[in-house]
Amino acid sequence: MELAYHWDFSFLNDYGSYYWTGIRMTLEVSLIAVLSGLVLGTLVSFLRLSGLWPLRLIGSVYVEIIRGTPLIVQLFLFNYGLPIFLGFDIGIFTAAYLALTINSAAYIAEIMRAGIQAVDKGQMEAARSLGMSRSLAMRQIILPQAFKNVLPALGNEFVVVIKESSVLSVIGFAELTYQANAIRGATYISLEPMLISALIYFVLIFTMSKLLGIGERRLKASD
Amino acid sequence: MIKVSGLKKSFGKANILNGIDAEIAKGEVIVVIGPSGSGKSTFLRCLNLLETPTGGEIEYEGQLVTDRRVNINELRQSMGMVFQQFNLFPHKTVLENVTLAPIKVLNMSKAEAEKIGLELLRRVGLEEKRDAYPNRLSGGQKQRVAIARALAMRPHVMLFDEPTSALDPEMVGEVLDVMKSLAKEGMTMVIVTHEMGFAREVGDRLLFIDGGMIVEQGPPREVFGNPQHPRTKEFLSKVL
Repeated sequence: MELAYHWDFSFLNDYGSYYWTGIRMTLEVSLIAVLSGLVLGTLVSFLRLSGLWPLRLIGSVYVEIIRGTPLIVQLFLFNYGLPIFLGFDIGIFTAAYLALTINSAAYIAEIMRAGIQAVDKGQMEAARSLGMSRSLAMRQIILPQAFKNVLPALGNEFVVVIKESSVLSVIGFAELTYQANAIRGATYISLEPMLISALIYFVLIFTMSKLLGIGERRLKASD
Repeated sequence: MIKVSGLKKSFGKANILNGIDAEIAKGEVIVVIGPSGSGKSTFLRCLNLLETPTGGEIEYEGQLVTDRRVNINELRQSMGMVFQQFNLFPHKTVLENVTLAPIKVLNMSKAEAEKIGLELLRRVGLEEKRDAYPNRLSGGQKQRVAIARALAMRPHVMLFDEPTSALDPEMVGEVLDVMKSLAKEGMTMVIVTHEMGFAREVGDRLLFIDGGMIVEQGPPREVFGNPQHPRTKEFLSKVL
């Protein structure tokens, strides 16, 4: 018996633009999630490093709950659960951005915490000895150094989020995986559209990793 | 200017300072010596509350430093500190290191802060390094920048925490020279050091600390020449 499969990529003529939209949406949502996750995550890392235990507890609970549950479940909770409490529909876009940001922020909080702790203790002492307040020293002295420490890890997080964002397709957010799935539904071809999306993901992430590697070496060279 | 009474500090169960009494007058150069682990650095770090004392009182310019209500940031503005490990800000240029606090803390204009900063850098002989980053400097240069950085706040007193201990021997001199000229100008200084020659030459008064207490004090020549306490004798016989 012979298993002959007829490869058929002819759908690319009619549906190629689906991929372009998908790529744009994937990159957009990932970038925005990581950037707003950076802001939120930095604030959470402050909680985790606070001298007050209730704040530390809030920070830990946030990080542990987010890291201890699957993204897809969080996404469903935001998409279907939040409207029940709010009393109005928040829409797929908001749910998608919110879920991905809040998820990424938990991981970034841990990255930032490590980055801040890696800054030499003498830096804070020197800043404080000059009369700087704790928050001024944090902004002027500690965070710029911490940020430089964690840039490679943040880049990594961006790559991870690009992959994870494929989950957003399940609530109808029209990113790359959703588009590939849409093509499958429209053409009844199931393998090839997914293969193309896999290839696109790989190219995106491979390029990104290489760029990050170059950036990291530059950063090290400037030390 | 500074009055310390019954100062105590413990870390957990370890008692580092066991009741220190000392008075420091304006313009005085105090040199603090003692074996490692004796508490001399902790004593210095208590003066500007980098360590919180567990007992006793510190008075500075008529203010009770150890009072909870005291504005510690304001107080530190007039107390310069120089660290063993320099602690320069690596992401700032030499000039930025010196001007940052005057601009951000004293709300000085950038132009004025740079004018003062350059003057101070000239004074420590590093004007031409103004745009260099700290990692391009030698240890001695770093420490001279750190001194300029502290001086930029126009402090009334300068605290030195083993300023030459992390330096290669050939760089100790350049740092001590800057400190000597400061002392000559009448700056009030408290210096924790292992440089006995420097202590003898520059110090107005020497404090010998051991076991978290001031064991002996007096003019350096007297303490070095004729130590009274057995522990002072023992320590000096090892280091001189």
